[in-house]
Amino acid sequence: MYNSSTDRRNFMKKMAAVSAMTAAIALFPDILFSAEPEKLLSESKGLDWKRSPCRFCGVGCSLLIGIENGRAVAVRGDPKSPVNRGLCCVKGYHSVLSMYAADRLTKPLVKKNGEYVETSMAEALDRIAFKMKQTIETHGKDAVSIYGSGQWTIPDGYVASKLFKGCIGTNNIECNARLCMATAVTGFLTSFGLDEPMGCYEDIDHADVFVLWGNNMAEMHPVLFSRLLDQRLRRGVTIIDFATRTTRTSMAADKSILFKPQTDLAVANAICYEIVKNNWVNEVFVDRYCNFRKGLTQMGYGLEDHYRFTDKAEKIDFEAYKKFLANYTPEKVAKLSGVSAKDIEYMAALYGDPNKRVMSFWCMGMNQHTRGTWIQNLVYNIHLLTGKISAPGNSPFSLTGQPSACGTTREVGTFTHRLPHGVVTDEGDRALAAKIWNVPVENISPQPTYHAVEMFRALDRGDIRFMWIQVTNPMVTMPKLKRYRNGSEKTGRFIVVSDIYPTPTTDVADVILPAAMWIEREGMYGNSERRTQYFQQMVEPPGEAMSDTWQLIEVARRLGFKKQFYYEKETHIEEIYAEYRRHHDNEQHNMAPLHILRSQPGAMWPYVGGKSTKWRYNSKYDPACTNGEAFHFYGKPDGKAIIWQRPYEPPPESPDEAYPYWLCTGRVLEHWHSGSMTRRIPILHRAMPHGYVELNIADAKRLQIQTGDKVKLTSRRGEIILPAAVNQRGLPAPMQVFVPFFDENMLINELTLDAFDPISKQPDYKKCAVSVEKV
Amino acid sequence: MPIPYYCLSNFVHTARFFMPIKSYLAHPHKGKKVELIRAISNIAQCEVIPAKNRDILIVITDTENKTADDELRERLESIKTLQLLVMISGFDIPKK
Amino acid sequence: MKKRLGIISLFTLLFVVFIAIWDYSYRTGLECAATPEGGDDYVPMVMSSEKGVFRRDRYALDYARMPIDENHQRSLKDYYKNRAFPGAPPSIPHPVSDARSMGGKDCLQCHENGGFVAKWDAYAPVTPHPELLSCRQCHVVQKVRALFRATNFKKIPAPAVGAGANSALRGSPPGIPHRIQMRENCSACHAGPSAPREIRTSHPQRINCMQCHVPNKKLAADIGGF
Repeated sequence: MYNSSTDRRNFMKKMAAVSAMTAAIALFPDILFSAEPEKLLSESKGLDWKRSPCRFCGVGCSLLIGIENGRAVAVRGDPKSPVNRGLCCVKGYHSVLSMYAADRLTKPLVKKNGEYVETSMAEALDRIAFKMKQTIETHGKDAVSIYGSGQWTIPDGYVASKLFKGCIGTNNIECNARLCMATAVTGFLTSFGLDEPMGCYEDIDHADVFVLWGNNMAEMHPVLFSRLLDQRLRRGVTIIDFATRTTRTSMAADKSILFKPQTDLAVANAICYEIVKNNWVNEVFVDRYCNFRKGLTQMGYGLEDHYRFTDKAEKIDFEAYKKFLANYTPEKVAKLSGVSAKDIEYMAALYGDPNKRVMSFWCMGMNQHTRGTWIQNLVYNIHLLTGKISAPGNSPFSLTGQPSACGTTREVGTFTHRLPHGVVTDEGDRALAAKIWNVPVENISPQPTYHAVEMFRALDRGDIRFMWIQVTNPMVTMPKLKRYRNGSEKTGRFIVVSDIYPTPTTDVADVILPAAMWIEREGMYGNSERRTQYFQQMVEPPGEAMSDTWQLIEVARRLGFKKQFYYEKETHIEEIYAEYRRHHDNEQHNMAPLHILRSQPGAMWPYVGGKSTKWRYNSKYDPACTNGEAFHFYGKPDGKAIIWQRPYEPPPESPDEAYPYWLCTGRVLEHWHSGSMTRRIPILHRAMPHGYVELNIADAKRLQIQTGDKVKLTSRRGEIILPAAVNQRGLPAPMQVFVPFFDENMLINELTLDAFDPISKQPDYKKCAVSVEKV
Repeated sequence: MPIPYYCLSNFVHTARFFMPIKSYLAHPHKGKKVELIRAISNIAQCEVIPAKNRDILIVITDTENKTADDELRERLESIKTLQLLVMISGFDIPKK
Repeated sequence: MKKRLGIISLFTLLFVVFIAIWDYSYRTGLECAATPEGGDDYVPMVMSSEKGVFRRDRYALDYARMPIDENHQRSLKDYYKNRAFPGAPPSIPHPVSDARSMGGKDCLQCHENGGFVAKWDAYAPVTPHPELLSCRQCHVVQKVRALFRATNFKKIPAPAVGAGANSALRGSPPGIPHRIQMRENCSACHAGPSAPREIRTSHPQRINCMQCHVPNKKLAADIGGF
């Protein structure tokens, strides 16, 4: 049937063509038609392959994108890239399809009397500028805010920071990276004084053991995981999956060890206990390069509005630290964590073996954790005690989830307390930023305002009246979603959303701006291994769609900041990057110049003397080391890293009689974040069409639930009905359930808790209590 | 193995009855023929047959339903390099 | 006495040498297995370009002797049906029993060497890259037909095949009209019963394919290619 109707359509098309030709011949009797219009368009039939980092996760694979007649038509892995070496994952191979769904936003929409009306770009930008001015006049400059993303290109984040912090003078700039990488930042800052990993992906080629801490790498960082598997075939390395749930990663690992939620804190301390007990400590390393500190405990969980916390470090010595560890014997911890003492000893022995190089990997399992900074400190402790750090193959490695979480949000510093170089609370840092931005130094407020969760609370309370959301979908991804959605819909709030497709977030917008995405404009991303990668504009954006950078520049000019936003349309990305590089003009963070980025698949900062730095803090590789010793942790004043004493503390909400199950949320291989792009890619949607709840086999049997049955999950915040998946993609431990968050029709974040890590202010999406029933 | 129930999508098709096919003659602005060919051939529902020796092209459109057809026509008319668009013929094919 | 002293000193000497060797090997064990190379351009390949060409050599004669199973041939249309664009990784056209397993224990059972599968009444296509074990990193099962939103993506046509389509001269051996990245083992797709009939070679026993068939110049000359 399908074929005959297609044939009929083709016939009708030919008929239509013939009648048009007849009409044309009547007009011009000598007219000739070309049978192959493609020939007129291009001389060569070969595709034009151009290089770009992938649009999706933080691994930062380099893609070669095939362009034909102004459209992206094919993708292959870049064989020259040191990241992916010619390989991609299913998202990367099909990434260009994300630009071509039929419902692309192509014209600005303005809400008038509850209806969206199409307007011109100029009119929409005028309206935004007018609203911003009006809000600042009536409610003060701290009533306007911008909420961006780790998918912002470097220029996007840079002009946003310059406009809000430098020109308007408010620190109301935050981003979804607060929900994603903030804990990684505080982990690095507390232990080493400087953000981002010391090592790089090349560590994978040298390490003998890989310990994955709550990291389903096979699905979330598939290309890196394939590099691990490749090393195992070549060299016989060991892969340990240390997690709360059985996944594809567990199936591929040499050993899968399950722990109870939150008890990773205790297990990490028990590993350190074993290392000390068995004399596996690298005494020289600890003596020369480490200090011991303890911080405040019983910090709370940030559940109440206006919650504030500042950690205080107290000096301790190795003996005091050993005494603290005595509480964490493998036997004691086994009872708490469900990990057998033998397995704890096994992991400790891998870390402790002087002949083995060890890499630890983690991502959201440790970042989205109410004691996330602590657990990162504890894993760094293991590497510091054994001296397995900052050297090829010895590498604690924090992975990122967004293409420019490192490049933009962390390096440009699009957080309330940050500046491109340093923090707003530091006078010197403010002066440097003001000088480069060409604004009076008094413009930059020394007071951080709201972190992401508190920013949405402020919007709900009315302290913030105007919010501009770019490249992110908070109405799917905020925890305890209902409160923040209701807040954004209150009267007297003005929300601007820049996006490429309609989403639940554009539903709450007063103005929707169509954005030019990824290779429809020019930009740079920075990946997990400090690699900055450039991409040129390869195709035209549809309709009136405009890059986020240029949207911000247009509004800034309308607000009267023409002097600061002097950039030329044709060269603005180059000009912005050159200006941005001045903030990092030092041996510890120098960025590669643009002509280098254009000529190769990225470069790693610090880029010094024409070379990327692969291992920081190691004087053999890092020119910023100046103390004349083998290692120099120059992020700390005395050049020493910190081993932190951090105890186990329970999570804010644990299962009880009314809500007896743990709920964990996360991603799946096929979909990226809230799914607004990947669900519009046919092959990915067809592979993973909707959300579901994973149950353990025993629980499903007791509740008489089978795959496909409808299941109701209820938490103290809300309830949701989803189809069950028993023993499918993942298998949670007994009395735990897992739900992916990509499906905008099954918003699991209505149930999650907005508790956060007091140090990083990053919410914990991995642990809250729910009840489960069949409906 | 049968595909489990939960895999069946929750996506609901809206009823569609007719799938229009239309042909047009398009005149580009002076010297903009190649740009116009490029712009139109970038639209998935369009096919282009350009004349070799005149500034004129044939455009054949194939859309899912009437609304999509109207949208497409609007989109074609908004192309800046297009001077004039004339419809020549149109067919409606009933959809099973 | 002298003899005993000699034996003792011999053993002492042996012991010292043993300690020295042991110490040396311990120290080298502490060093990196591979010395990391400098420069940004150092890219040890996951797969190298033409290494895979000869991978399935030992089956070449079997393929040559095998009669053609007319009733279970694949066509190029089938071949391109589950690819988003020519060169894209194909989706999996059949249900998979275990959603969690890895390739080595699952997919490769059929797709490493191929063979007839009664359940699907077809020959299993052979993978050109069996060393990449996380199959479903790139190949995914299609569970539904419907889309989330319609797409305007345009699938470019596949390279033409057949007499003369890729030949420089009339009757000369055809060139390779596609990239070989991820597909450097020719016989995986061009030989054996699962090969699409339009592109199945008549001479699988002549294993050095690239002796006569060379990549199209345009494909070879751009950035980043092999």
